[in-house]
Amino acid sequence: MPTRLAALASVLAAAFALWPLFALDVAWPGTVRDYLEAKGTVESGAMNLVSAIYLGYRAYDTLGETVVLLVAVTGAIGMMAAGSALAPREAGGAPVEPARSPRREARSRQRTELIAALSGKLGAVILIFGLYVMLYGHVSPGGGFQGGVVVASGIVFLALGSHGAAPSPLVGARNLARIESAGFAILLVAACLGVASGKGFLAPPLPGGDPVSFIIVLNAVIGIKVGAGIGLLCVAMLTEEAA
Amino acid sequence: MIELLLAAILVLAVYAMLTRDLLHGTIALSALSLLSALAFAVLKAPDVAITEAAVGAGVSTVVFVWAIRATERMEKQ
Repeated sequence: MPTRLAALASVLAAAFALWPLFALDVAWPGTVRDYLEAKGTVESGAMNLVSAIYLGYRAYDTLGETVVLLVAVTGAIGMMAAGSALAPREAGGAPVEPARSPRREARSRQRTELIAALSGKLGAVILIFGLYVMLYGHVSPGGGFQGGVVVASGIVFLALGSHGAAPSPLVGARNLARIESAGFAILLVAACLGVASGKGFLAPPLPGGDPVSFIIVLNAVIGIKVGAGIGLLCVAMLTEEAA
Repeated sequence: MIELLLAAILVLAVYAMLTRDLLHGTIALSALSLLSALAFAVLKAPDVAITEAAVGAGVSTVVFVWAIRATERMEKQ
């Protein structure tokens, strides 16, 4: 059975890859870890060591992650656009309405009232929580990515609360796309400002400004960009289903 | 505590792979993400726990469920 064989092979490969971790008794390299543990929060000014590292020391990696997310969202939206372009069309060019089974219609009628009443109101609360996680990432667990994803789920709730149509401009796919592009542009400009003032790429640009304020700015920009990006993906899926 | 969580995660992962119903598999994956978020919180990694809960249990479940909604059942129940 080929599936069994593949499963067995993958288990063996995983064991082979992980085996050195358990078998070797060489000490883990600890120089950077000890340095960051001792100086990380002091040098960057962020109480949360995770935020201190990923925006204070390794902000270049974070920039790369936002690019990965941008490419992923672009690819998914492109695939969905190609899929709807390939959908069967009548001679006039209008998409053929797929015949809906009565069961599915009944189901979609069932879901509306309860979900609309609940999730439309929950959405605002989740948005506030996402903004909190985003803006307080330097003192409490969280940060731009985490807050952004929470904001995205808030956007999904708002979109669900409006029967899949776009009620507020915030939930419109076009606006979300604009917000994401603007967020990425601001992020790049903020990263390059340090070069202009001679501090270096992604360094806090203001003279005498403490690094923690730059971390807060980066967290906010990354959070808005990530939230708009993932929210755009979900809203595009929801509204395509409704259309 | 952590062994219990890991055992439940393993059971859910195997169930998600073996079940024939895509929706059941998606819900199992969502529960798996919730439990692993709990495990991360127990292991004192709250940042990762927030990410796992928001991405794994929240957004990815929505995406999967909406993708499944766009499909039709091939087999009779």
